[in-house]
Amino acid sequence: MAEDFGGLVDSEQGLVSRRIFIEPEIYEAEQRQIFARCWLFLCHDSQLPLPGDFFSTWMGEDPVLVVRDSGGTVHAFLNVCRHRGNRLCRADHGNAASFTCAYHGWTYTNDGRLSGVPYLKEAYHNELDRNQWGLVPVAQLDQYKGLWFATFDAQAPPLRDYLGEMAWYLDTFVDRRDGGVEVVATHKWIMPCNWKFPAENFGGDAYHVPWSHLSAVTTGFSSGVTTKPATTGAMVSPGNGHVLICVGPDDVGDPPIAEVIAYEQAIRPEVSARLGPRARRINPLVGTVFPNFSLLRATSRTFRVWHPRGPGKTEVWSYVFIDKAAPPEIKEAIRLAGVRGFSPSGSFEQDDMDNWQECTQTCRGVASRRMPLNMQMGLGRDRFDAELGAWASAYRISESNHRQFYRRWAELMAAGGWRELAAAPAREQQYA
Amino acid sequence: MRNDPDLIREVEQFLYREARLLDERRFHEWVGLFTDDVRYWMAGRSNLYPKHSKAISILDPSRYVEDDTALEDELALLDETKETLMSRVARLDTGMAWAEDPPSRTRHMISNIEVEPGADENELKVYSNFIVYRSRAGSEEDFYVGARQDVLRRVDGEWKIAGRKMTLDQNVLSAKNVSIFF
Ligand code: FES
Ligand SMILES: [Fe+2]
Repeated sequence: MAEDFGGLVDSEQGLVSRRIFIEPEIYEAEQRQIFARCWLFLCHDSQLPLPGDFFSTWMGEDPVLVVRDSGGTVHAFLNVCRHRGNRLCRADHGNAASFTCAYHGWTYTNDGRLSGVPYLKEAYHNELDRNQWGLVPVAQLDQYKGLWFATFDAQAPPLRDYLGEMAWYLDTFVDRRDGGVEVVATHKWIMPCNWKFPAENFGGDAYHVPWSHLSAVTTGFSSGVTTKPATTGAMVSPGNGHVLICVGPDDVGDPPIAEVIAYEQAIRPEVSARLGPRARRINPLVGTVFPNFSLLRATSRTFRVWHPRGPGKTEVWSYVFIDKAAPPEIKEAIRLAGVRGFSPSGSFEQDDMDNWQECTQTCRGVASRRMPLNMQMGLGRDRFDAELGAWASAYRISESNHRQFYRRWAELMAAGGWRELAAAPAREQQYA
Repeated sequence: MRNDPDLIREVEQFLYREARLLDERRFHEWVGLFTDDVRYWMAGRSNLYPKHSKAISILDPSRYVEDDTALEDELALLDETKETLMSRVARLDTGMAWAEDPPSRTRHMISNIEVEPGADENELKVYSNFIVYRSRAGSEEDFYVGARQDVLRRVDGEWKIAGRKMTLDQNVLSAKNVSIFF
């Protein structure tokens, strides 16, 4: 019988085995039990606004083509030719009525139908049923406020249920103003680390900011809200492994650019009216939608996918976003804040890589791998907060979100499928 | 201009000296080579089908992007003013700029230099290519390869860099970060 990798996480004691960051068998199991099961982020609606627009991305290690067909309906297909398995579309994005495979020339329309097969008459003797060999769609595709997600698992709960209470927290990033947000910059690069290190970091590591990132604060790239002792807030976990770092409603995490701060102040009543009373208690700055989609709106405005590329490698696709209704000079200021703060050259972001790389690579050692990692900060000091619709830590710096993230990881790694996961008692009852 | 070997030699020597300042980590002197109004800018490349590609049939020609540099602002990896360059240099002095601790060991190779007339007689337009090798810690290695278009301006008898526009020839950057200068 296969090993139960779920046992490698002890969220009650705040311990996690280092094996999960380096062992190829565990990585393979993750691909099946997490990446082929969960809802994964594809792209933002503003990245394919018109009929024919397409966007190439990945779900785990599977290439995926997201395309708006000629009638305007969005589809997501495996970006894999049905003939010999060549990757069909090789461009990042563009506009197409149809796609033709570079190998033997099979052609698919932008709604996935196989429309052309060279030598169909002569070589296939007209016996190939083209209706059977269209592009393979994902099992479920849906969007939440312009964020397109898909899953390869037909049994997965609907997106809205999968997000649960996290949906409101997503609103605080992408639905602050009428019209939502749009993408103004793209960065893609390779990090030599396991994908879970950046995912847990964005989801719950307020602890590293006052040390890892102090230099970017003292030299003016960031307000450094989480480096200030007076800052309030909490680690917030709305369930299903989704996790967020939040500060108090009056703590300002915006980039220290006068016009951006003025803009945020000016729109505050509008934002507050849209988000409702909960926004008067909490201000989410950074978070992770389980498993590998993170958002941030301190220092920059970015959302990104941590694409797994083997146990020790992650390809990050990061986007700078801004309220669509913002004036052009604010959009430009935010684009620049993104380049200068959270990008490969970002004065904040560049200092994260070494830590995640070394945390991953030390797992290679046999003796090092025997030592569990410690995620005990604030153990037993979090409670369910009905008003927040989430578990919240007593102090704003805590590893309660790490425990929630890895608890969910372990549940998925142990469960045979979504039916088993659905049968588990609700989070509030588990802790009560 | 193309026929003025002394001027070309002068520009080459200026760029080589600049590269040496970077390799010797003399960043304060280096940042002094830029004018106060400089835009220092680098972008990666997108990965698009050319218009004549038979891999797709285009549905909406108005959505077609002819040239990947049309997306340059969207793909900028660096977009700096003199002030933000100085802040980046100041950050290196904090003792907490972890991406450069231990520091990168760089070697800047500058080549393919072409000198052309600038906007006025005080300015030159200078093309060059670069290969930057970075070695760091024990065995980390990266190559950053690309092209530069500089505007050099003569200020008080000295050349200064009044504009630098760089293309880095990668779509997915293979290095984990860009913590060095070019
Ligand atoms: S693999 Fe695509 S046409 Fe043969
Ligand atoms: Fe960080």
